[in-house]
Amino acid sequence: MKFYRTIRSSEKLAAAVTFVVVLCLPFLLSFNPYYLSIFVSALILGSVSLAWNFLAGGCGQVSFGHAAFFGIGAYASSLLVMKLSWNPFPAMMGAAIIGVVGALIIGIPAFRLRGPYFALSILGFAEVMKLLTLNLTDLTEGSKGIFNISSLPSIHLGRMTFEFYISRTTNYYFAALLMFAIYLVIYFFRHSNTGLAMSAVRGDEETAAGIGVPVFRTKVTALIVSAFCTALMGAFYAHYVHFLHPDSAFDGYWSVMPIVGSLFGGIGTLIGPSIGALVITALDEFVFKSFFETGHKLFFGLLLAVVIVWTPVGLLGKWMRKK
Amino acid sequence: MLISTTTIIQSMLSGTLEGVNYALYSLGLAFVFGIMRIINMAHGEFVVLGGYVAYWLLVMWGVNPLLSLPLAAAFAAGTSFLSYRIFLQRIRTTPELNTLILTFGIGIFLSNLFLQMWTADLRNIGVDWMESPLKLSGIYISLEEIVTFALSFAGVLALHFFLRRTKMGKAIRITAIDRDAASLAGINVERIDLLAFSIGGLLAGLGGPLLGMLSFVSPGMGIAITIKAFILTVLAGVGSIPGLIAAGMILGVGEAMTVTFVSSSYRELFGFVLFLFILLVRPSGLFGKGFR
Repeated sequence: MKFYRTIRSSEKLAAAVTFVVVLCLPFLLSFNPYYLSIFVSALILGSVSLAWNFLAGGCGQVSFGHAAFFGIGAYASSLLVMKLSWNPFPAMMGAAIIGVVGALIIGIPAFRLRGPYFALSILGFAEVMKLLTLNLTDLTEGSKGIFNISSLPSIHLGRMTFEFYISRTTNYYFAALLMFAIYLVIYFFRHSNTGLAMSAVRGDEETAAGIGVPVFRTKVTALIVSAFCTALMGAFYAHYVHFLHPDSAFDGYWSVMPIVGSLFGGIGTLIGPSIGALVITALDEFVFKSFFETGHKLFFGLLLAVVIVWTPVGLLGKWMRKK
Repeated sequence: MLISTTTIIQSMLSGTLEGVNYALYSLGLAFVFGIMRIINMAHGEFVVLGGYVAYWLLVMWGVNPLLSLPLAAAFAAGTSFLSYRIFLQRIRTTPELNTLILTFGIGIFLSNLFLQMWTADLRNIGVDWMESPLKLSGIYISLEEIVTFALSFAGVLALHFFLRRTKMGKAIRITAIDRDAASLAGINVERIDLLAFSIGGLLAGLGGPLLGMLSFVSPGMGIAITIKAFILTVLAGVGSIPGLIAAGMILGVGEAMTVTFVSSSYRELFGFVLFLFILLVRPSGLFGKGFR
């Protein structure tokens, strides 16, 4: 399987189209708050998918537990704001850095071994983080959850004011901005020496080690970047929904859906995962849920299986390759 | 808090008994990973499937869960067989990432199917007369615990002797050690793969009814079983089937001690910390040498 070697022009086009569509979408939805809230979640998921795929598509390391970083980011940012009364913007950055600490705790033991050790350790890590959040009640309020997490403070640009407390539109565009920033980070990383080393590790670890690529360090670096972005989105999520519970912040949703989005959009592309996440959220909300109300996620399982067997580069990846 | 000797003995005993059941729940995953180098992320869901088969038989016809073991195993083996034939076979030789994601997808599919069919309720399939505890000088033990312990122990040993003593077991082991050589010796390695994966499902299915008797089954619990099975596989050492019993006992007793001395909410933490420790200190596990 060949993953992204070079970023093809068709891909850059796809990225441009995606961001233009994201910019215009609120107008098409005539700023309906209900639809906007669905797409804010979709953008958060799209960003996490980009981060997930940076590790999987970029470095060949599949994570089944990105919910761990998402939840850490969400809780860390809320606690920094509520207990240490930080401003939410630096708190988001602080939370992302705490996410990196989490990445080191799990990455250092698990990446020393080849094989599926990382994939399963991180799955366990996500469970353990949820468990700790539930039980360290002095810090996290446990199963009561954290209420009234303050929203991001208003931003004043000249005579314009963007407030986050009520306006879905502001949150939507801020989420879009974050997704764009993460896309840029990933784009530049992919074109750096680290990006090259990651491709080598993904291709064949032993050969990569043979020609002097620091395999362990490369994998840890990829995980750090991925965890940073995921925790950042978790932090935004916390300030967006104002309420956290271990079951929502560490929900398996944040581990599973980035995989579905990435696979659907194309694990071998840069922008694909975010497109996949946007499309899949819309499909889930408007189509799947009308079939099975409780078990609608079974479609995602089926989708993963079908895509990985018949078009491992992803549906959109296939299309981009042809161009 | 003062903890009496009886309490400690009691929890060590329960931990040991429970731990051997862990070995049975892990058997399918350990076997498939040892032979095929594939982690079956849907392993836990196969266990749960076995549990629901037994649940259905109990609710519809009042069948004792122990009697539904063969059917539970057959259902899980059949699902496993189909998963391999329809999906896994086609990507057997592609990068590991693909098989992980595929089996993960199958697991999501199954767990949501369970949710749709049997709702999110926890289903216990215990039998009253087997649940009542027997008291032996201050220590409680139920018939259920003894029976499941014996069955789990027998299951692990049966697989061990199947691999050691039968011709088919030998063929499976040879394929695990050297595919090409096995193929040259006239073994149909494709068939062996299919067989091994189906046996993995069968073993998982056996665990389900026992799990349902001792605690409960629910649609979302599969992933936790998969994690535990992987922890045991690594702790025992990849390829060591009897080692699973020792590893299971260590995990079972460790969890029981955590419950006794710390708190029941940190029970699951023990396995994970142990796992990280093993990864750092002795990644080949207690008895790991690979299949020989």
